[in-house]
Amino acid sequence: MSIMQYNGGSVIAMKGKECVAIASDLRLGNQALTISCNHEKIFPVSDRVYYGLAGLATDVDTMRQRLRYRVNMYTIKEEREIEPETFARLTSSALYEHRFGPMFVEPVIAGLSKTPSGGVEPFIAAADLIGCLNFAKDFVVAGTASDKLYGVAEGLWEPDLEADDLFETISQTLLNAVDRDAYSGWGAIVHVITKDKVITRKLRGRMD
Amino acid sequence: MDILFGLCGKGFVILAGDTTVAHSIVKMKNDEDKIKTLGPHLAMAYSGEPGDTIQFAEYIERNLRLDQIRNVHERRPEASASWIRSSLASSLRSRRPYSVNILVGGFDISSAAIVEGQEELGGTPKLYWLDYLGTKVEVPFGAHGYGSYFALSLLDRYHDPNASVEEAMGTLKRCIDEVSKRLVVSPSKYKAKIIDKDGVRDIEIPV
Amino acid sequence: MDGKTAPQMRHFNPYSDNGGTILAIAGQDFAVIAGDTRQTVGYEIQTRYAPKVFRLNDKAVLAVNGFAADGNMFVKKVKQKLEMYRHAHAKDMPLRAIARLIQTMLYAQRFFPYYVYNILGGIEEDGSGAVYSFDPVGSYERESCRAAGAAQSLVQPFLDNQIYFKNQQPIPGGPPHPVHLPLSRVIALVTDSFTSATERHIEVGDELEMFIVLSRSHPQQSLDPRLNATEVSTTASGEKVFVIRRPLKRD
Repeated sequence: MSIMQYNGGSVIAMKGKECVAIASDLRLGNQALTISCNHEKIFPVSDRVYYGLAGLATDVDTMRQRLRYRVNMYTIKEEREIEPETFARLTSSALYEHRFGPMFVEPVIAGLSKTPSGGVEPFIAAADLIGCLNFAKDFVVAGTASDKLYGVAEGLWEPDLEADDLFETISQTLLNAVDRDAYSGWGAIVHVITKDKVITRKLRGRMD
Repeated sequence: MDILFGLCGKGFVILAGDTTVAHSIVKMKNDEDKIKTLGPHLAMAYSGEPGDTIQFAEYIERNLRLDQIRNVHERRPEASASWIRSSLASSLRSRRPYSVNILVGGFDISSAAIVEGQEELGGTPKLYWLDYLGTKVEVPFGAHGYGSYFALSLLDRYHDPNASVEEAMGTLKRCIDEVSKRLVVSPSKYKAKIIDKDGVRDIEIPV
Repeated sequence: MDGKTAPQMRHFNPYSDNGGTILAIAGQDFAVIAGDTRQTVGYEIQTRYAPKVFRLNDKAVLAVNGFAADGNMFVKKVKQKLEMYRHAHAKDMPLRAIARLIQTMLYAQRFFPYYVYNILGGIEEDGSGAVYSFDPVGSYERESCRAAGAAQSLVQPFLDNQIYFKNQQPIPGGPPHPVHLPLSRVIALVTDSFTSATERHIEVGDELEMFIVLSRSHPQQSLDPRLNATEVSTTASGEKVFVIRRPLKRD
């Protein structure tokens, strides 16, 4: 039993047309025993950057606190909101600091970056537990159902989805993947980030 | 291994723990209180490695007391639980980690925690489940030790967040009885504490 | 002891894992049984064409995945038994009987199992499409779809969603979800499943080999010429068996 599977849980992010979506399940367990069915793994950085952490729950909490501190320091020094790519680099360096005694979390980042013309560009990234970044052009996954998420997402995702279609695609991908994973599930939460609002919905999957 | 239970009701939270101290196969003590009062509206039940438990619980108790002396306002349950969590989390990556599992029960009396239409309750009950790794979750009910394998499914079925004290004690009794019935090495005695707007006090478990 | 004792091998592992993935879907009056043709050991590709799907007779196709040596031997033995049956009874063994035969043969090796996951697809005596899936020691079940092998975890949840319509609500007042999908849709899903698996799994790729068994009650007794299918059935009056081969990514 890997330490990455001790608490269970999965996260996924997908790109759409001028929007991104990020979603996670809600289970927290102690190996096979479910402790909580309302454990969110996705956190906001700003109105247009969200990130999720899959892995060991204690390190998820610790990383979240450390990232919040670093983002706050960045915001104070720069006097502006952090860009999603900058946040990804920051997450990566925070993880790599513990290269030889890592934090057991895999981050998934989703956001909208500003383009020079004043528009927005969807951005997603994921990293492994020591901060090796993966900038994907379609979707990124992490957690105990990652292989299932890859399979379903590869079959359902297509480029340039509008916000409501992207919501449906990420929801179906997550629900069907976690239904085949004993360590993930018990409902899900989905955030769709568009240029003028963030739509957050809780999903009830099969609650077993 | 020790057994801890915790559950929230309408305007209160109950913590319960067995009273056995065992070394190997020998029961050393039968009246140990595994629940510490940490503040006017805060208590924690702890279990784990003997020695670690008491050392860590007293460390938490003294530091929260110091905090209380230094500050005018009472520390809210969320803040206290978060501080306990970070103590456990930093201990985990130290040379010798504490192996202590904890249920923190508190009653949040701050004005932000007073629910509209339920002002008479005087706040919100809070229960946090923490393990030795520093995992922290807010739960409506929780359990540690072998008891959790029996109690969590019972609590899924019978727990009511709007239960009265009597109903909640009935539910707690169900959990204790189930453990006595099905666990081979079941403890004989339990102690419970209730935390509500009036503070922390012992509560008798119905026979 | 002279201190020069030669090192002794303590343990011999008679098994290996040759990767790859298989998949079968049953329709109302047809069955599709597919597998990729890549054979691997660890990071090495031993061959880009090692069939895992075999026609047993005109109504049964067997897909075998896991340890290739065991798989090939197992298929050989099943074929031998089926030939003995044909000589004795002057007819092909029905599908459900083949399924039970496979269970018996697998369980006979209970304490030195064939390290293979079998999926049997074809047409039952009543003309319906059927899929039977097995574990290495013979537990089996009739289902309407099953994936096995290296990319099982990638493909099976996709099939849950697309075949069983899991997590999908039918439109209120509209038609319910179909129980059986048409052949064209099934072929499209199988192809998509394998291209997806090839994209994300290193042990899957090279070529897709898809067998299609059509019941005599199937409205069309031939396949769309655009599918480029080869007929491999032996009689004109029985069930029709076709093979479709498609390239998959080779990286």
